[in-house]
Amino acid sequence: MSNTESEQSMTDTAVRTDGGTETKQSLRQRVLSNPEPAAIWLAGLALLVAVELGRFVDWALTIGGGIKFILDGIVATPTWVGSNFEGTLGFVAGAVASDITSLLLLFIVAVFLRAYLPFHPDEKLGLDLSRSRHLWFERGFVTAVLAAVVSVLVFTPIGAALKNEVGFYVGILDSLADTQTLLSRETIPNHGYQTASGSWEGTFLGLSARSAWLVRFTMVWVYAAVVMSWLWRGYNVYREHYRRMDWTPRDDVIDRLRSHNWGRFGLVVVIGFIVLALFAPVIATYPIQENVYEPYSQDSEFKYFNEEAGEVQTALHGDANINSRSQGAGSQNVGINQYDDYGRYAPLGTTTSGEDLMTHIAYGAQTSLSIGLIALFLALGIAMLLSLASAYYGGIIDLMAIIGTDTIISIPIFVLVLMMSVVFQQGDVWIAEPMDGGLLLALIFAFAYMPGMWRSIRGPSLQVAEEEWVDAAKSYGQTPLAIMRKHMAPYVMSYLIIYGSLLVGGMIIVTSALSFLGYGVSEPTPEWGRLIASGRNAVSTQSWHVSTVSGAMIAIVVTGFNALGDGIRDAIDPQAEANAGGSGGGA
Amino acid sequence: MSQNLVESGAEVSSDRRREREKLVEIRNLKTYYGESGLFGGRPVKAVDGVSFDIFNGETLGLVGESGCGKTTLGRTLLQLEDATGGEVRYDGTDITELSGDELYQWRRNAQMVFQDPDSSLNDRMTVGEIVREPLDVYEWGTPQECREHVKELLDIVGLRPEHYYRYPHQFSGGQRQRIGIARTLALEPDFMVLDEPVSALDVSVQAEIINLLEDLQEEFGLTYLFIAHDLSVVQHICDRVAVMYLGNIMEIGPTDELFNNPANPYTHSLLSAIPKPDPTATADRITLHGTPPNPRYPPNGCPFNTRCPARIRPPEYEQLDDEIWMGINTLRDVLLERQRADRSLRERIRERLGRQTRFASVDETYDDLFGHLNIPQDAASVLDEIVDYAADNDEDQALAVLTEEFGSVCEKESPEYSTVSETGRQSFCHRHSEEHARPSEVLDERY
Ligand code: SF4
Repeated sequence: MSNTESEQSMTDTAVRTDGGTETKQSLRQRVLSNPEPAAIWLAGLALLVAVELGRFVDWALTIGGGIKFILDGIVATPTWVGSNFEGTLGFVAGAVASDITSLLLLFIVAVFLRAYLPFHPDEKLGLDLSRSRHLWFERGFVTAVLAAVVSVLVFTPIGAALKNEVGFYVGILDSLADTQTLLSRETIPNHGYQTASGSWEGTFLGLSARSAWLVRFTMVWVYAAVVMSWLWRGYNVYREHYRRMDWTPRDDVIDRLRSHNWGRFGLVVVIGFIVLALFAPVIATYPIQENVYEPYSQDSEFKYFNEEAGEVQTALHGDANINSRSQGAGSQNVGINQYDDYGRYAPLGTTTSGEDLMTHIAYGAQTSLSIGLIALFLALGIAMLLSLASAYYGGIIDLMAIIGTDTIISIPIFVLVLMMSVVFQQGDVWIAEPMDGGLLLALIFAFAYMPGMWRSIRGPSLQVAEEEWVDAAKSYGQTPLAIMRKHMAPYVMSYLIIYGSLLVGGMIIVTSALSFLGYGVSEPTPEWGRLIASGRNAVSTQSWHVSTVSGAMIAIVVTGFNALGDGIRDAIDPQAEANAGGSGGGA
Repeated sequence: MSQNLVESGAEVSSDRRREREKLVEIRNLKTYYGESGLFGGRPVKAVDGVSFDIFNGETLGLVGESGCGKTTLGRTLLQLEDATGGEVRYDGTDITELSGDELYQWRRNAQMVFQDPDSSLNDRMTVGEIVREPLDVYEWGTPQECREHVKELLDIVGLRPEHYYRYPHQFSGGQRQRIGIARTLALEPDFMVLDEPVSALDVSVQAEIINLLEDLQEEFGLTYLFIAHDLSVVQHICDRVAVMYLGNIMEIGPTDELFNNPANPYTHSLLSAIPKPDPTATADRITLHGTPPNPRYPPNGCPFNTRCPARIRPPEYEQLDDEIWMGINTLRDVLLERQRADRSLRERIRERLGRQTRFASVDETYDDLFGHLNIPQDAASVLDEIVDYAADNDEDQALAVLTEEFGSVCEKESPEYSTVSETGRQSFCHRHSEEHARPSEVLDERY
């Protein structure tokens, strides 16, 4: 029995053997015992973050704002439920209903928090409970603690004090977010005017508006590239110096993706798209507030050199826009890489209403990305839950899920989305407000795409539910939830990522199509599809750029997402994995 | 340990067995699939009423062809499948009745080693996480203690502590099986179901894993249910063997006895399929014809009657040629097949194909089976009658006549378990009752 050498020959030559000595240490200890690579990398990262600190804080605040939006909605439910009851059954019923709703909400939170309890309260009390009682006891315990904390916050001044405190810190963050960063309009201004002598005033280093903008534009991409490669380096540092595993199955996936040219193209396009969206305020030629949203406000005034008058005058963006429209044959046009009459440089020309096209494209990416991400995460989450539960339990749950989703699938996706957008937008519901219908669209997408997504991963889910390791987990009493999470979800997840990246492409197209038809995202939130629609009459004229540029962007981004999906699919293709399984140890 | 027990002779071993306590008592256990299906239909009778005991500390082999229900039986014992009926008493508790917390508490007593080490380990988890999971489920100790314990377990099964942070991909089949065994040991179970634990491994590695299992049994006093189709492995490791066919246990008894002197006709056929190392052994190979029946439609009477080489024949046809008997068996299979296929599609098929086609097909079958044979007058007239009924699409009647004329107690009644030796070996066959010749005699005569 002890003679295992023959079996071990395969792995022992291929795998480092020093793992054994370090295995007891936590990541912290491992870093401390060999701090140099981590220190170097962290220093680099700190530098990269420092130059753009304001922007990172701003992103964090945006995410925080989104979370607050959701939390506010949840916190409002008890009151809402309560007032509904109060309306029909009187005050006491209303109060009870809102209390019960609050407790239920706290209980849901408690279910998730329970696992992080540092001790077992029933053991402290000397109770001897069976497992399910023990679970419910702990959940109840956490709920009670939460309820106590909430009551203290609500009914004593502590809550108000805490709120002030939080407000204070958010205020600090806000001012941090306003600090100047390296890549910003303030550091590299591009909007100035050319004096009679031909020199430029108000631009970066006195460069022409075009050059100044190009410098900023280039810097953004250089910065993004440096950050990406630094992150990659960080992964490698971790993999080489600190990770306990010499090899993980994910390494192979990454290696395969790296050698997949089409997938790499997709990755570059998708990252480019994300950078375009994230850095839209920097990439945009003019502040969107001034150029698009409020062109007639006092803030939107700028100086320009009036050649006729021969002097520097001021103008509002709004007035300037009217005279800079790209409306095709016979009328005005500001094409790609041109200046308008007000000395404003338009890298991609102007839109049909005279606004800067580059600004629209950059912020349009933001719109598409937000819609895509919100819809994707919602659809992914629901599809994942459904597919896991139906695969694990099978039978009637599976059947119900099939019938339910089939009903939705049987309606063509575009028709479904169109119908729902029309209904909700006509109804003027509050949810149609954020992003001028963008959030509504994201929710509709999630609803419309979820069934298809669930159907595409149903096969893999059923397959993984049949694996013996699932039986093994059942045989030692693992709970269904944990089985789904640990033993099924990771496998289904890879399929979801593939379908997800394909779907984002589809969503971008459908969003554009809807906006093209006048639904979807309405004015003034920038959106690519609406650009195509507005410029389509001028495609054959000098103003061809409006539709063409936005159309090309959609085509490239959608292709990029599809390419990335293909690349990931090939990288995690189970077939390839099975073939590589034997030689996995050598990787 | 297993060797001693068997070598010490029948009587001693039987005494010792009587002293030993029963760990698992299985009574009339049934596991049917597809019964609760939404569309009803006939269930697959994977395990169709088995009863036996598993004694503390023994290794009980469970053998049979693939599809005979042995894996389902093993899984039912661990409550991975719901029993349709019957009892599984573990230490006196009927575990088929357990649910929720009680089932969870019980589960740590019994664990399973799976057949396919590729599928039984989640390859996105490290070896450490895999072996540790059962400990986490039972909230065993602090994380630090768990890690230490896992490393001990890895050591016990012949792996090294530094394998903790590797992934299953990095191991060979034999090592992966060791990981699986370490996981089953984590909760210190008393009872383990080994579902063909070595059949997916290279021959060179099989012996190592078998030895490991034997050592572990000795060290931890484990009780094994060893499911296998490789009889030589069973002969090596098992104290007792149960032979399974179509959801039933055909014979169960001490290994040596059963291998050297099988009682049940099915055991005879199964054993004659392994090449005998002993050149003086005289028995001819018994070839089984056909395939096991579909467990959705098990035959009436003895489950083995469609293929049994020792089937009891009616006295008036005792002298019929073996080939004719084979033909009759096949004819019966064909008729049964048609009887089933008919029910719903019957009329439509008839319309499609026209009666002529069907009529011809029975005739052709008959020609194929009996055309070249010389059939005695009395048998021939019965066969003609059967074919006539079948040609009229009256399979029920055809089968009734066939069973009436050529059938025997094997088709009509389910056999009882008979004790066939002093050790309490039991066999499921009519031929152990007084009025019939013993299976071995018949087989000697017929083969
Ligand atoms: S009962 Fe009849 S058919 Fe069954 S094994 Fe015995 S002899 Fe064969």
